[in-house]
Amino acid sequence: MSTTTQVVVLDNGGGLIKAGFGGERDPSAILPNCLHKPLASKKWLHPNPLNTPASAEQDLTSASVRRPMDRGYLINPDLQREIWSHLFTSILRINPSQSSLLLTEPLFSLPSIQHSLDELVFEDFNFTSLYVADSPSLVHLYETSRSPNGLLSKAQCSLVVDCGFSFTHASPVFQNFTLNYAVKRIDLGGKALTNYLKELISFRSVNVMDETFIIDDVKENLCFVSVDVPRHLNIARKSGKENLLRCTYVLPDGVSHTKGFVKYPEQANRYLSDGKEMKEDVDDHEEILQQQHENNRQKVDLTKNEFDLTNERFLVPEMIFRPADLGMNQAGLPDCIVRAVNACHPHLHPVLYESIILTGGSTLFPHFAERLEKELRPLVPDDYDVKITTQEDPLLGVWRGGSLLASSPDFDSMCVTKAEYEELGSARCRKRFFH
Amino acid sequence: MEEDGSNSNRRMSSRTRKVASKMVAALASSDNRTQAALARLDALENDNAGFEVPDPNIDDDDASLDDDDQGFMQRKQSKGTKRKTRQAKALEARKAPRTFLELLHDANLESLPPHVPSYWKAAVGPPSSTARRHFCTVCGFSANYTCVRCGMRFCSNRCQNVHNDTRCLKFVA
Repeated sequence: MSTTTQVVVLDNGGGLIKAGFGGERDPSAILPNCLHKPLASKKWLHPNPLNTPASAEQDLTSASVRRPMDRGYLINPDLQREIWSHLFTSILRINPSQSSLLLTEPLFSLPSIQHSLDELVFEDFNFTSLYVADSPSLVHLYETSRSPNGLLSKAQCSLVVDCGFSFTHASPVFQNFTLNYAVKRIDLGGKALTNYLKELISFRSVNVMDETFIIDDVKENLCFVSVDVPRHLNIARKSGKENLLRCTYVLPDGVSHTKGFVKYPEQANRYLSDGKEMKEDVDDHEEILQQQHENNRQKVDLTKNEFDLTNERFLVPEMIFRPADLGMNQAGLPDCIVRAVNACHPHLHPVLYESIILTGGSTLFPHFAERLEKELRPLVPDDYDVKITTQEDPLLGVWRGGSLLASSPDFDSMCVTKAEYEELGSARCRKRFFH
Repeated sequence: MEEDGSNSNRRMSSRTRKVASKMVAALASSDNRTQAALARLDALENDNAGFEVPDPNIDDDDASLDDDDQGFMQRKQSKGTKRKTRQAKALEARKAPRTFLELLHDANLESLPPHVPSYWKAAVGPPSSTARRHFCTVCGFSANYTCVRCGMRFCSNRCQNVHNDTRCLKFVA
């Protein structure tokens, strides 16, 4: 195969598609993996890529969504084809028949799903070759490349905790292979958290059951992981100035602003201050807030489309740590990690605990790593160290690993080419990827 | 007699049963509250609020076809065109996207030998401590009381009133 063909790296997540070219540091486009239909429109539209001016203008109020993925797995290849062809022709501007593809796939994908994915890649888009990677090994690859002398590279193993849109996986990786017999999964991810927050707000203040995108924004801006739940519950119960957690979110009115926003951004971060020492500061804050309040009073009375959040801010991400509170019969993240490690060879246990890597969008909640360490420490034997690393950009970690792999010299030889696919079929080609 | 039996067998097997695993558990339990809880958990994975895809497979009029042969033949002829549409509908249903749980059911992962890791074996399993914290469904603080009618939680008299007025028995029908 000629070396001039470019490699397209595609991290096809349930929530976001990260797409770009092998060898580059950042993906060229991050795109919601869905079609949406705003109230005013009769057609399903393609969402604009994130971080572009066009996406800031898009009015997503009450838009309904169609996603090609359900519970993290591809269920609607037709829809995925539509989204991909939009991505390839109008965003990346590539010619698939002259490029090869590195695609990520969730662990334990079903044979029927793999088959339809292969069909999509080779028969609908005519890529010259395909490599299917699993995300934990890519994260491991990226992290080892960042610290060539660290423990990670010496021991060649790590425990990747990927807390994404559809589910959460704790996967041990050893010498760039994911130990799939030891992987443990919690069926909770960002999507379920958003829906849970939607449910809470809808019952307690405003009906937002149709506002997927707005509540996503609320979750990203206001939710945090509590390190001390009873203390935060107490603070949330207080009234007036004492309540450091109360925060107001303004819903879009469709006239002056089409995006919702946090009313007092400084109010949102007050929980970071510890109750006692920040007393004076709080008073200062309150004065400022009071003034702002006066200024905004008229606005508040006119537009009633805002709501307050208090304990919802930390009780929503809390569910990843204790799914049982939601009524799920599943263990929380700390237990999940311990079970994943215990399923490995005992020689690996100390190294795995010392090289836990957090990735995925749902780990972006403030204090996620802190809380995890606090809960994990008592479960781990005393003589083992626990070290949790958060990726510098958890959304892109998998993609960067893929980009690295795509630019490695052996990449061409690892791929399955179109000719091989046509001769051997999907199932035989899949054996090459060892997972 | 025998023919009847074989007929009923055929009818049973020809009907595709597509039931999500959680729903199987829910249906197996006689308890309304468990059913409601499982349905709510399932709803957390929905893309849009409310009921999304109406099931295209609800088609029960095959059941009355073989009462007596004559009537059956006549009806079959008179309904010639309708048959076609039904087939078309079935084709359409096959094309329509299926949920992951249906695909999972079709993959028949239970038949794999026990040492092969699969989707089911990767699930983390039940929590090690059964202690569950309860939060008030009305205000979110820790709830010490359970509604005697529907089993939802609340923390105080005030919240109980709100609960009774707005959502008591809403999920447990």
